[in-house]
Amino acid sequence: MTNLFEVSNITLRFGGVVSLSDVSLYQKRGEILAVIGPNGAGKTSLFNSLTGVYKPQEGSITFNPKEGEPISIIGKKPHVISHTGVARTFQASRMFNALTTFENVKIGAESHKGLGAIGSILRGPATRKDEKYSDARTWDLLDFVGLRAKANYIASSLSYGERRRLEIARGLATNPEVLLLDEPAAGTNPSEKLELTDLIRKVRDEMEVSILLIEHDMKLVMSLAERLYVLNFGSVIAEGTPDEIRANQNVVDAYLGTTSVEGSH
Amino acid sequence: MHGFLSYLNAHFHALRLEFWGLLIGGIGSGIIYAMVAIGYTMVYGVLRLINFAHSEIFMTGAFAGYFTLNYLIGSSSPTGITSILLIVVGIIAGGLTGSFFAVTLERVAYRPLRKRKAPKIAYLISAIGASYFLLNLAAKEFGRIGRGIAQPYSNHTVFTIFGANVEMYNIIIFLAAGMMLIIVDRLVNKTKLGRSIRSVAQDSETASLMGVDIDKTIAMTFVIGGFLGGAAGFLYALNIGVLYSMGFTPALKAFTAAVLGGIGNLRGAVIGGLILGVTESFTVVFFSGAYTDVVAFAILVLVLMFRPTGILGELIGRSA
Amino acid sequence: MNFPFIKKLSIKAITILILSELAAVVTGPPGNADTPWIGFHDSITQKTSFFGLFVTGRWALFYALGILSYLIVYFFNHNDFKNSASDSLRSSYRSVAGKKYFRLIAMFAIGVVVVLLPTIITDPFWREAMVSQIAVFILLALGLNVVVGFAGLLDLGFVAFYAVGAYATAWCTGALPVPPLFGSHVNPFFAIPVAIILAMVAGVILGIPTLRLRGDYLAIVTLGFGEIITLFANNLTGVTGGAQGTKQVPHFSFHVGPLKYIWGLDPAPYYYLVIGFVFLFIFIFYSLEHSRVGRAWTAIREDEVAAESLGINPLKYKVMAFAIGAASAGFAGVMTAAQSNFLTPATFTLSLSINILVLVIFGGMGSIFGVVFGAIVIQTITMYLIHTPPAGYQPQDLYIYLGALLVIMMIFRPAGLFPARRRQRLDVSTSSFENSND
Repeated sequence: MTNLFEVSNITLRFGGVVSLSDVSLYQKRGEILAVIGPNGAGKTSLFNSLTGVYKPQEGSITFNPKEGEPISIIGKKPHVISHTGVARTFQASRMFNALTTFENVKIGAESHKGLGAIGSILRGPATRKDEKYSDARTWDLLDFVGLRAKANYIASSLSYGERRRLEIARGLATNPEVLLLDEPAAGTNPSEKLELTDLIRKVRDEMEVSILLIEHDMKLVMSLAERLYVLNFGSVIAEGTPDEIRANQNVVDAYLGTTSVEGSH
Repeated sequence: MHGFLSYLNAHFHALRLEFWGLLIGGIGSGIIYAMVAIGYTMVYGVLRLINFAHSEIFMTGAFAGYFTLNYLIGSSSPTGITSILLIVVGIIAGGLTGSFFAVTLERVAYRPLRKRKAPKIAYLISAIGASYFLLNLAAKEFGRIGRGIAQPYSNHTVFTIFGANVEMYNIIIFLAAGMMLIIVDRLVNKTKLGRSIRSVAQDSETASLMGVDIDKTIAMTFVIGGFLGGAAGFLYALNIGVLYSMGFTPALKAFTAAVLGGIGNLRGAVIGGLILGVTESFTVVFFSGAYTDVVAFAILVLVLMFRPTGILGELIGRSA
Repeated sequence: MNFPFIKKLSIKAITILILSELAAVVTGPPGNADTPWIGFHDSITQKTSFFGLFVTGRWALFYALGILSYLIVYFFNHNDFKNSASDSLRSSYRSVAGKKYFRLIAMFAIGVVVVLLPTIITDPFWREAMVSQIAVFILLALGLNVVVGFAGLLDLGFVAFYAVGAYATAWCTGALPVPPLFGSHVNPFFAIPVAIILAMVAGVILGIPTLRLRGDYLAIVTLGFGEIITLFANNLTGVTGGAQGTKQVPHFSFHVGPLKYIWGLDPAPYYYLVIGFVFLFIFIFYSLEHSRVGRAWTAIREDEVAAESLGINPLKYKVMAFAIGAASAGFAGVMTAAQSNFLTPATFTLSLSINILVLVIFGGMGSIFGVVFGAIVIQTITMYLIHTPPAGYQPQDLYIYLGALLVIMMIFRPAGLFPARRRQRLDVSTSSFENSND
């Protein structure tokens, strides 16, 4: 079985600054994979490269969807990559603040259809059917993440934890094969973190969506991730299961610290 | 096809004949564009905003110079030292008026938006409104007919280079504008105020944490940009005269120059201005006057599409 | 006495003085460059009567009005007046609006007024203005609302699309020096699809290279485009008739099967024609707003990066907004060409683009009701000022007020008089302008 993502030797530069240096990684289908490392290590740059926001100058990124040909990610625009089945959330939740929770998710649900300006104006039966379907899917997703009660609330009124869940629902609405989560637990309290962990696992188990996650909360990562990559200064310094990573001296020196073998924030 | 080739041929021939004259004229207008461009580029540097109303700053400076010189000169024909003094007075009058209107503009139209952290579109709309307000107010108060400025010197050819005339007007522009540009360059790069401006341009949050008074620095940026813009208006008007709508086209070209050189980059603004002025001068040979505006606009679109950071690059780079 | 208090008070007094004298100058008699002080001097010292009670210099009247306004606003803000007044207004509105058929009744009432208007208004000036200056401007405002309000794109060259539609009509009807499109001239009815298509093409041509640009650059580039179209209209005399204008454009006529009607000089039939299309466009734009296209526009406006990550192609939707707005303007061009029977480039100026922008901003960008309201109010006031100008008013002074209005709206009520339900957060920056990549 082919891997979902194959990242080979990518290097990303901004002027004189090297953000990612010869980074290679892969993600197995159905896996919960985590990328950890100190701030500035290049984790978000990696996400941005995987989603087409940045274009690495060297290397290649291949995405292997379940059906269809493998797709080379580098050089494609973000919306095209979204259509191939890659969804993501952002480090600072990027809500459509003026819209309701429901509308936020619905935009995700309907964004993969065709252009339909004429259809939007004429409201033919096909358009109405599409809209019913999007509505139904949106309600399902809101139930899935537990936000049905807040469906008609303006997105800017949600708490941090709720926003994270909204972003997840919105990303799932695009029917992806993999969901990239950028620090989903940032700014959440311990009980929210637990809920989030359960939710992420539920996403993988029930929706068969692979997960690639960036996180600083070591407890969360170690309990959730099946495999990890550790980045430091733009390079991969370690790869392995949580136990292997915890025991890796390089990682401990660079990031975890000697007193945090058990994992802490 | 043959017609087109001979058209090109004839015009290139004319270009060769007039080359030095066109070059001198081009540098002259280029320097004026540069002065105005600095206003755009500095404001962009500290506010990340295009001061759409800068064209009216240019216009008010021109009118200030116009009224001042008309009052002082009347119908006489000054020479010698008087001429020089009058030019200096004109520049100061234009510059100070430009600064005044620039600072007022900032206070009235931009600062309330800044305090509210309004999005860019709000500044733009406010700027357009302010620009239109000033332009039409000038039309109402000063009439809609163009007028010439009382000349503080008698324009004559001072010397010739390679067969091209260098006139008094050219020399005045080169000297005056050149000096002001050098002064501003020194100001921004070597003084404390300049450091404040550059720090706010790079990172206003950190700058304020380091004790820089943001409001005052921004105001000073408008003062400097406004002074240059107003003075440029005066110098421009010495040749062309004043009219309520005079600011629109030169300012648009100056904006193009700022983008061409790299928006936010002071030296870029100067280089952009010179390149634009000379290019425009040469293209007049090929197209009639009205279409030179199209040339400037085409340059703007091309630069924005293919190299939006300009020739020297955007000095304040965004971090990755 | 408290020194800081005196200082604050005197600063306020001086500010009010300056502002009220500025208002005096703006509304006063004009000046000219030879005697620059005439405008200022006369505005300030001219004797005027204080509501018929006594005569004083203008400066005193304006200062008094300025102080009065300030006091009113001050007391309004600092008392419960504001809250309780607006609360009671709101609750009484709600109690009425809640009633089941309120909307229907309101729309019916509006419909009746609209239909009866030409019979109520008999003054020829107003009958003419109703169509060419108000109804057509509603169309233009609706179109620009799609671009600025729905998609969040600042287009300063909107007048270009209006011009394309108008000149396309002239072309099809044989009013241009170049031969008409269909060989022989047709009446403006058949020019409608041509005008709309050409305008949309212009929108796409302008949009594709420029809609990737950041907001401020887009504004300037669209402005330049508008200017260039005017430049071509003025200079390509062989094509457009140049500054002299076109030949005569025939009136609108409709001849399909047994139905035949020819419009003429009477504004009333044109009024019904244009208003009919206004309602059609309102319906179309309302549907669009509440469709996935409208939601995609909102998403792009709110956060372009997030929208892109969800599979929305920003360029596609922005170009679509441009094209749809352009279509509306192009159609307005057909109406203008047919009704006035004659076109000159002098109509299609940057000032007009800004005029339309003011209508949208004042009424409420993104709100269909808002921009219609804004168009009606401002255009009516404009026409009133032309019809019965107060002392010292010249028609071109309008733009002084429009410019000031833009600044005032941005400072005090950026969302407009009737903010769109899906607010564009103009009070706080969350929009895509800030978050775009370049």
